[in-house]
Amino acid sequence: MPDASDSPAARDGLLARLAQRRLLVVTGKGGVGKTTVAAVLGRRLAAGGARRVLVLEVDPRENLHHALDLPPSGGEVGDAGGGLWLQNLKPRAVIDRIVRERVPLGTVARRVLGSTVYQHFTEGAPGLREVAVLGHALRKVRGLDGGPGEPFDLVVLDAPATGHGVSLLAAPRLLSEVIRQGPFGEMGGELAGFVADPEQCAVVVVTAPEEMPVAEALQVQDLLRDNLGREPDLLLVNGCYPPAPAEPGDDPALALWRRRRRLQEREIERLAASWRGPWACLPELPLDRGPELVAALGRCLERELGQRDGEGSRDLGAGRPGGRASEGNPPAAPEDPQ
Amino acid sequence: MRRDAAGPASPGAAALLSPCHPLLVVVGSGGVGKTTLAAALGISSARRGDDTLVMTFDPSLRLKDALGVGEEARERAVPVDLPAGEAAQGAAGRLDASLLDARRTFDRLVARYAPDPAARDRILGNRFYAHLSGNLAGILEYMAVERLWEVAREGSYDRVVLDTPPTRQALDFLEAPGRIVGFLESGALKIALRPWFDEGGRLRGASRLGPLGRGLERFLDEMVGLDLLRDMAEFFQAFEPLYEGFRERARQVEALLRSEETLFVLVAGPGEERVADTLFFARRLEEAGYRLGPVIVNRVHPEVEVAEAPDDRPGAPAAADPCTPDGRRLLAWLGARDRRGLARLRELLGARRQVVPLPLLADEPTGLPALEAFGGDLLSGL
Repeated sequence: MPDASDSPAARDGLLARLAQRRLLVVTGKGGVGKTTVAAVLGRRLAAGGARRVLVLEVDPRENLHHALDLPPSGGEVGDAGGGLWLQNLKPRAVIDRIVRERVPLGTVARRVLGSTVYQHFTEGAPGLREVAVLGHALRKVRGLDGGPGEPFDLVVLDAPATGHGVSLLAAPRLLSEVIRQGPFGEMGGELAGFVADPEQCAVVVVTAPEEMPVAEALQVQDLLRDNLGREPDLLLVNGCYPPAPAEPGDDPALALWRRRRRLQEREIERLAASWRGPWACLPELPLDRGPELVAALGRCLERELGQRDGEGSRDLGAGRPGGRASEGNPPAAPEDPQ
Repeated sequence: MRRDAAGPASPGAAALLSPCHPLLVVVGSGGVGKTTLAAALGISSARRGDDTLVMTFDPSLRLKDALGVGEEARERAVPVDLPAGEAAQGAAGRLDASLLDARRTFDRLVARYAPDPAARDRILGNRFYAHLSGNLAGILEYMAVERLWEVAREGSYDRVVLDTPPTRQALDFLEAPGRIVGFLESGALKIALRPWFDEGGRLRGASRLGPLGRGLERFLDEMVGLDLLRDMAEFFQAFEPLYEGFRERARQVEALLRSEETLFVLVAGPGEERVADTLFFARRLEEAGYRLGPVIVNRVHPEVEVAEAPDDRPGAPAAADPCTPDGRRLLAWLGARDRRGLARLRELLGARRQVVPLPLLADEPTGLPALEAFGGDLLSGL
């Protein structure tokens, strides 16, 4: 796609474009609010039921259900209403199922699954768990499981915080290099094509306006380009303080607000200087996790991105808190779409 | 004690930086500030006169940024140039930092322990090893164990502060030695070490087993491909001479982690929503028989009095915008949230466990002086 900043497509909005994908991988360092952001994106892209969206959480400790006020998934697909479903996924369960499907005899399958060799293999085979997760997402989109909500228009994957989300996306290729045949090898090969296709798979990086999360977000951007030849589709900076007033005053709260905000602005400047694609800030809000927070952040996200698209800039420099367009960004002149 | 020379020691310093605990292990969920705290503790320890090593195996290399140590810290412990502080007075100990790189440590171990160059090259050149050494779950944790073993054996430090990696479950690394020992002792290894393949690259014995053998071979080939299995079998065989050493070192480190000498410092994020996580870690550590020290709740927002409603303030249109809350109200809310979290955590952990809140700082402690001040805050809060 050529630079689309002046085309009607840009004005349709980034969210609308993301909604056309089949898989949205949400990645970010632990503690930046990735799970909440995944829920916000899921809720927003389901658009009140216009699309069927599944948010997949891959973490042995369940948290996603808190954001949507549901009971823990326990591995099942739960209906959050309005076209949104959620599921907590254990990669191991997916791998076990593949073996069961391929091994016709139940007794043999049980012996394979119970053997230490198999268990160490599934723990140790490089990329296998990640590929199992991505493969599960693809099945849900294609409706192959026949479970609740299927086929989904979109799966939002709340990627594990271990290492970089890039290793999740690079896993299919890695696995297909190690295991060249069989169901796992085929799955790796197919998924490698899927995640490399920007029309099908989007990558959203979540960060916080702090030194280390920002450093990691920039690292992810470079790793994506180097390892997968693609750019992230969107960066969301979560937990931004509101702009502090210039009014004089030395009460400690105002002072802390100013200092923390200045600290955040420094980090956001650093991001703005090196981030090549669209980005937006999400505010820190005085709300506990839950549907109310998800809805409020969804509205803020829409507004942030709407403003950006209205300005017709692909760099979305206005996302800096304070809403000023960034002078540090290059003009939206000839940009490589990939 | 030597550290008396470095100024008045707080009771907290006596508890945490006591000679009884030459190994401090900092654990907690991702993003709570473990690495920063580990660095701060290391500086405090050195300032009090103890030769100290801070070890991190965080792949994002945050400690490197914080301590200003370069790439060479991946190869060996490098000295940290502590600024001359007022507390130093010539009594300060040495501070070293090292970064763990799983791949390099693994390669180095293979090079060191392989019986001969041919065996070494067989392992390093194996396709399975090439993928395994950077990717195997738990390998980073296991390599930390190996490094810890080296450091403990050399015994050249009064204290080692060990940061832990951002694993899904922060206790994964504690289980790594046990997992490796379990693996080495399991039947899996014996099976893997059998000569599975004949010279022709066919599955040995498959033909003798008749239709069943051919079925097995076809099944394995179909599932993962025989060439992968061949690589794996070769890898395990090439690795065999190294097993016993790995197992012995893993055992020794496990014993060290469980010994009286090792104290675990649990770091948690503030707020009610994190309480369940913190409690989970604390219980897991105690149930597994590790010595848990104080629980540190990092970045607690201060208590803020909101004197006036934002709507009453002149010229505050922002208050009406839900995406731009009033900062003071926001801080007041965060402060109240964090206090609820602390109260809940204290209630659930019980009186016998010390909970130490550390306030959210106006600036993040990134440079050495700031880290040192941060460490001081921690110790005086104990």
